[in-house]
Amino acid sequence: MKAVILAAGEGLRCRPLTLTRSKVMLPVANKPIIEHVINACRENNIKDIILVVGYKKEKIMDYFKNGIDFGVNITYVHQKKALGTAHAILFAEKLIDNEFIVLNGDNLVDEKAISDLLKNKSGDVSILTTIREKACGYGVIIKENDKLKIIEKPHHEISRMINTGMYVFSPVVFSEIKDTPISNKGDYAITDTIQQMIQKGYNVKAISTDATWMDAIYSWNLLNINSILLERCKEMDIKGLIEKNVVLKGKVIIGEDTIIHSGCYIAGPVVIGKNCEIGPNVTILPCTTIGNNVTLRSFIEISNSIIMSNVRLGSNSFVSNSVIGCNNNIGDHFIVETKKDLYIEMYGLLHHADEIGTVIGDGNEIGSNVLIRAGKMIETNCKIESGNIINTDLPSNSIVI
Amino acid sequence: MCGIVGYIGKSSAIPILIDALKKLEYRGYDSAGIAVLNLNKLKVYKIRGRIKDLEKILPDLESHIGVGHTRWSTHGRPNDINAHPHTSGNIAVVHNGIIENYQKLKEKLLIEKKYKFVSETDTEVIAHLINYYYNGNLVESVKNALSELEGSYAIAVICKDSPDLIVAARKDSPLIVGVGENENFVASDIPAVLKYTKKIIYLDDYDIAIIKKDGIEFFNNGNPITKEINTVEWDEKAAEKAGYDHFMLKEIHEQPTSVFETLRGRISELDGTVNLDIKLAPDQVIELNKIEIIACGTSYNAALVGKYLFEILAGIPTTIEYASEFRYSNPILDVKALVIAITQSGETADTLAAIREAKSYQCKTLAITNVVGSTITREMSDVLYTRAGPEIGVAATKTFTAQLASLYLLAIYIGKIRYKLNTEQSKQLLINLKKVSGQIQKILEEENIQKIQECASEFANSKDYFFIGRHINYPIALEGALKLKEISYIHAEGYPAGELKHGPIALISEGVPVVAIATQGPTYEKIISNIKEVKARDACVIAIAYTSDTEIEKYVDIVLRIPDTHYLLSPILSTVVLQLLAYYTAKERNCNIDKPKNLAKSVTVE
Repeated sequence: MKAVILAAGEGLRCRPLTLTRSKVMLPVANKPIIEHVINACRENNIKDIILVVGYKKEKIMDYFKNGIDFGVNITYVHQKKALGTAHAILFAEKLIDNEFIVLNGDNLVDEKAISDLLKNKSGDVSILTTIREKACGYGVIIKENDKLKIIEKPHHEISRMINTGMYVFSPVVFSEIKDTPISNKGDYAITDTIQQMIQKGYNVKAISTDATWMDAIYSWNLLNINSILLERCKEMDIKGLIEKNVVLKGKVIIGEDTIIHSGCYIAGPVVIGKNCEIGPNVTILPCTTIGNNVTLRSFIEISNSIIMSNVRLGSNSFVSNSVIGCNNNIGDHFIVETKKDLYIEMYGLLHHADEIGTVIGDGNEIGSNVLIRAGKMIETNCKIESGNIINTDLPSNSIVI
Repeated sequence: MCGIVGYIGKSSAIPILIDALKKLEYRGYDSAGIAVLNLNKLKVYKIRGRIKDLEKILPDLESHIGVGHTRWSTHGRPNDINAHPHTSGNIAVVHNGIIENYQKLKEKLLIEKKYKFVSETDTEVIAHLINYYYNGNLVESVKNALSELEGSYAIAVICKDSPDLIVAARKDSPLIVGVGENENFVASDIPAVLKYTKKIIYLDDYDIAIIKKDGIEFFNNGNPITKEINTVEWDEKAAEKAGYDHFMLKEIHEQPTSVFETLRGRISELDGTVNLDIKLAPDQVIELNKIEIIACGTSYNAALVGKYLFEILAGIPTTIEYASEFRYSNPILDVKALVIAITQSGETADTLAAIREAKSYQCKTLAITNVVGSTITREMSDVLYTRAGPEIGVAATKTFTAQLASLYLLAIYIGKIRYKLNTEQSKQLLINLKKVSGQIQKILEEENIQKIQECASEFANSKDYFFIGRHINYPIALEGALKLKEISYIHAEGYPAGELKHGPIALISEGVPVVAIATQGPTYEKIISNIKEVKARDACVIAIAYTSDTEIEKYVDIVLRIPDTHYLLSPILSTVVLQLLAYYTAKERNCNIDKPKNLAKSVTVE
C-alpha cells in the first residue's frame, strides 16, 4: 500500500516558527513531526511514500532526500497553490492504482494508529477517529440516521469523536474529488468530498482508535508533544564528550561531537544534538530538546523547552516553557518570563496557553540583558539591542533600540 | 557511505553489476570491485578508482551470480587491497557500514591462526567470520557471524559452494531487494536496479534475505517472514536528485549541512582553539617561513582566499600557483615552507604532478581534499578532509564552500600557534564561523532565491558579465565568473575592482551587468567608488551586500543580501549567492547544468 502524506501547508497558527519552514518540519524530540509520521508508516511496512510538498519544500527535500536513509522510498509531488486537502491528494493520482492511505504530515501519530486503521478498513473510505475531551477546534464526526456526517470545527460541543485526517481511500476517490465543488473558504476540502460520497451512498466507515494522535495547533503545543515523546525515549545514548563532574540523571541522549563541560547538571528526559558546546555549569531540566550546533554558555538554566539548531545563548540566561527557532544569536542575561493560563492574541483572536514563556522564530539577534514578557513572541530576523524589555509581539525584521 | 549490489539470474551478471554500480556512484567512487562465480570458481576483480576503471580490467566472463561494491572510504585508504569484495576461502563479501567491534573479532580470529588478514578494513573480519562458522550451509554461517557483529552493516555474500544463492542482510545501513523475472537483485539504493525492475522489497534491520534466481526467502531473528513488494514509479534520474531539478541545485542546498560537517568536532569555542588532527607539529608551525598553495579551477579560487587568510590571520607570506604552471615557475621552497594542495577529487593530474615536484624541495606538505584516501592523500604528509560528501554536479559548489571552511580552520589553527591571533580574536572568528552554516540557510530562504532568480532572468541574454571585488572578495569575483561561464556559457570576467580603470573598463557599456561584491570591510569605500565608475558608463550594477547595509541602494540597481558576518568570513556567504545566480541563469538559458559541455568532474590529464 502507498501512503500520501500531505506536507504542503504552511501552518499559520504555528507562526512565527512556520515563517521559515512548513509545519511538518517543526522538530519534536529532535526530529521533524513528519519524520515521526514516516517512521510510523515504515513500521507498518508502508514504504512507498508520496509527499505532497509546497510551502518551503526545499527544507523537506534536503532533509529526507529520496528517503533511502529513512528506509522508505519518497516521491515528491508539488502542489503549487494551497487549494486544500482534496486538491493536494489529486496530485498523487497518476502514482496510484490501488487502495492508499492519506496522512497529515503535521499530525504526530504512532504506528498503532496506522495499524488500527489498516486492520479495520473496509469499503471505499475509512476514516480514523479518536476521542477528545475538548473537541472544539477539530473537525468532528456525528452519526445521523445511520449515516456519518463530518462537521468542520463546530462552535458547540456536539461530538467528542474527532476526525484525525487519516484516511484509507480506494482510487474511486479521485473522480469524486474532481466533482467536489469549491468550498466557502475557496479551497477543495477532502471532507467535502467524503461528505458528498456519503450522500451518494458510497461505503464510508469511521474507525476509532486510542493510539497516539497529536496535533500541534499552536506553536506552544509543540512543548507538550515534545515532552510526551521524550518520556517515551527508551535508552540513554551518549555519543559526545562528557567532562568530569557532570551529572546526568534520567534518560539523556547526546549526539556526536557535542561537548558537555564540567559542572553541568542535566536531568532527563533531555535530547541534545550534534556538535553542541554546553557549559560549564549549565542546568538542563526535564523535557528539553536541543538541536545541532548549539552553544550554551555558562550558568544557564533551561527547562521544558525546545532549542533548535545553530542557536547561541549567552551566560546567566534563563529559559523555560519556550521554543527558540534556528540561527538565533542571544546575548548574556537573557530572561524569559513564564506565566500560567495565558491568553495569547493572534490575528485578532485570543488563544489559551497552559503555561508559556516565549516562542522565537529564526535568525534573530538579541543583545544582553533582554527580558521577554510571558507569551510575547518574536518573529524572524529581528534585532533587539541590549537592555530591552519586550512587552509586545515583534513582527519580522523589527529593530528594538 | 558505500554502495553494494548483487545479481543472480538468467542474464550475464557482470554487465548488470557494472551498470548498477554506476547508478550508485553518488554513494562513493574511490574504489570498486566485483566477485562472480564462473565455472565453479570464485573470481574477484577490484581496483582503486571509479567504476569505469574497474570495467577496463574485467575479462569477458560468463556468470550468472555476483556481487559488487563501490567505495567511499572513511577508514582504511582506498587501494586495490582495501577495495571490496573481501574474501575468505570460497566466500566473498561486500559491505556498507562500520563494524565497531572488528578489532576484538580480529584478535579472536587471529588466535585460530587459520585466517590471514590482508586489508585494513573492518569488512574482512566479516568474511573470515562467516568462513569460521562455515559448515556447508552458507545461510547458517552468515546468521552466526552476524550475531557477533556490533555496528552497522548492509552486506551481500556469495560462496563458491552455493552457486544458486546470495545471502543479504542489513542493520542500520540501507538495503533493498529488486524482484525480477527469473532474476533478482540486491542493492543499497533503488536507482541501481530501476532499469531492470520496479518491484522493490525493503529490508528492515536484522532481516536476512536468501536470494535465488526464482525466489527470495526472508528471515528475521531466525523466523521466516513475508515481505511486501513495493512498486516504485520513479524515473532513474529523479530518484538520485531527491526532488530537485539538478544535482547542482541539490548540492547548493546541501551547503548548510556540508559546512556544518566540515566544522563538526573541530572547534572548541570556550577556549578558542581548533582541533584538526594533523601531524604538523606546533614547533614546525612556528618555524614556517612560507606557504605555497597549489590548485586548479575552483580550488584555485579557494586558494586565493587562503592567501589572504594565511597572511592576515597567521602572518605567513603566502604564494599561490596554478598547478599546471607550478613546475615551470622555478619555485623557491625549503624545509621551512609548507605546500598546501587543494583538490576536490584528490586525483587532479596537474595538482599531483605539481606536488611531486614540490616534494623534491623537502618542504612540508598538506592536502585539502574531499575524497578520503585519494591519490593525493598518499603523496602528502598531512591531509585535511573537507567532509562535504560526494559531489555529482560538475560545477563545484558545496565542495568549494567546504574548502573555504577548511582554510579558515587551518589559518586560525596556525595563527593561534604563532601568536598572531590571541585567544579572544580566534574565539570571535570561531563563533562567527560556527554561525555560517545557519547563515547559508538564511540565504537559501525562498524570498532571497526569488530575488536572485529575477535578477538571473533579467540578464540571462547578456553577452558579457563582469564580477568585481576587492581584497578577500576578489577571489569570490573570480569564482562567481567561473561558475557563470562554466554552466551558462556566458562570457564572464572577474576583476579586482581597482584594476577596472586600468583597462577592462573599456569593455563596459550600457546595460552590461556588473556584479559587485560589496560587503563591509577595509575596502568598502573603495568599492563604492569603483561602482560609481561603472555606473557612470551606464552599466547595470548588481551588488552583494550585508543585510544591515542601507547605503548601498543609492549606488546600484539590484542588491542581493547576505547576513552580516566578520568581513573575512563573508566569502562563504557571497559564494552561495553567486552559485544561485549562475544556476538560475543557466536554467533560464536551458543549458545542461550538471554536465556542461567540454568539462569533466575530475580532470585526470595534464
